[in-house]
Amino acid sequence: MLEYSISIKYMLAGYGVILTVLALYIISLFTRWRSLKRDLQTLNEFQKKQ
Amino acid sequence: MHNEIHTAEHKPTSNFLSAVGAVVWKDLAAELRSRELLSAMLVFALLVILIFNFALELDPQTRRVATPGILWATFAFAGTLGLNRSMAVEKDRGCLDGLLLAPVDRSAIYFGKTISNLAFMLIVEVIVLPVYSVLYNTNLFNPGLIVVILLGSVGYVAVGTLLSSMAVQTRTRDVMLPILLFPVVIPILIAAVKASSGFLQGLALPEVMPYINLLIVYDVIFTAAAYMVFDYVVEE
Amino acid sequence: MKPQPLALKALSVISVLLFLSALGMVFFYAPLEITMNYVQKIFYFHIANAWVGMLGFIAAAVAGVLYLVKHDQKWDIVGLAAVEISLVFFLIAIISGSIWARPTWGAYWTWEPRLTTAAILEMVYIAYLLLRQGIDDPDRRARFSAVYTLIGSISVPITFMSIRLFRTIHPVVIGTNSSASTGSFDMTSKMLVTMFFALFSFSVIFITLFWHRIRQGQLAQQVEQLKLEELQ
Repeated sequence: MLEYSISIKYMLAGYGVILTVLALYIISLFTRWRSLKRDLQTLNEFQKKQ
Repeated sequence: MHNEIHTAEHKPTSNFLSAVGAVVWKDLAAELRSRELLSAMLVFALLVILIFNFALELDPQTRRVATPGILWATFAFAGTLGLNRSMAVEKDRGCLDGLLLAPVDRSAIYFGKTISNLAFMLIVEVIVLPVYSVLYNTNLFNPGLIVVILLGSVGYVAVGTLLSSMAVQTRTRDVMLPILLFPVVIPILIAAVKASSGFLQGLALPEVMPYINLLIVYDVIFTAAAYMVFDYVVEE
Repeated sequence: MKPQPLALKALSVISVLLFLSALGMVFFYAPLEITMNYVQKIFYFHIANAWVGMLGFIAAAVAGVLYLVKHDQKWDIVGLAAVEISLVFFLIAIISGSIWARPTWGAYWTWEPRLTTAAILEMVYIAYLLLRQGIDDPDRRARFSAVYTLIGSISVPITFMSIRLFRTIHPVVIGTNSSASTGSFDMTSKMLVTMFFALFSFSVIFITLFWHRIRQGQLAQQVEQLKLEELQ
């Protein structure tokens, strides 16, 4: 049987990684969305000027 | 375009075969004149073997276990070099565009290129094998091994020709081919290495057969798949 | 770009709630396993992430075929979204699996068929993304991407079979036990309920993320088209 203290450490590490990677992916989705929106805005303004 | 094809196809099969033959002939004749592809592949293959020699300290004991792996790594590396070069030449000299304008089925180009690439790879293998045998005092003249090399090369080249015609059309064409090719030819490398080491260790045929079957299945599936999608890769 | 449809907003909220409940069930409802105890709890999310990666893999293959048949840019966007999600979730599955493997099998990495195949699939998807980066023309990019997904979708199952063939003939032995027997356990009904709930929750999360990612792809396509128009 695994010792509780060791087992808990690995469990926390595991869930830590799962939550971190998931969070990073969602944050990257958000930032990419925002920068695309900004690009779209600039491009639209640019077109109006011409 | 369609009318042209129909008028040209009096005898569709013979037309198709002669188109394949023309592509193969063009490649082989050009290579016979310049020898640049084969010499590059060969020198590269020998250098890879040299590097393995120093990296692995090939004493007789290690050699017995490592030979199939070294051979296939060498063939795979030399193979990408050849595939990339053969397609890049096609692209740079505008031969590909010329071929695409010709009123033949485009898969004829695919099969033509595949056959000439296979020929180059087999020539390199035919030279590397005796050299390796002499350098390491290992007998590699084994009919089973030859069958494995043939089957493995067919599958490797079938996928490699398709992916190299994609790779040369990208901005990063010098580095793209191995990145695209290696992850999808892993089944070939596994099966070929295992079957080769089986034959070299003199295992009974039933023990090696699963790997041979795997190679045959891979060859058939990927030749068919590449034939079906090649049109999308050269479409302009 | 149209504002988010109500259904997507609702799905996002439901996904967050499902995720939290699944997490709650893992820690407060599922019983402790006898031999591995706490670390076994990784199993629920590990398998759910692998499941989502699998869904993404299938979606990518279907989108690739549909693109080649229909020649509609829409399927390229769907394919890219599927590949990206599959890449992220398989990555999570691989890392969480390695962390679970360390105390149970004694090593972070074993060349076990499923693990190795997942890693090779990641390589295929990274190659896919690099391929896309190297092509400027949207139509050609879509065609090549679809062709490469198709080749990958055929080769990955064959890779799995060939590694398994190789492993069944030469079983991996870690310590005195084989890797197949160590780390397996009998599931109680509460464990099963937790596992199925996690699988269900992550399926909903997959749909939500997929939808969001497709919308982002549509926006990116719009931006790219405007840029190309500017250049002309």
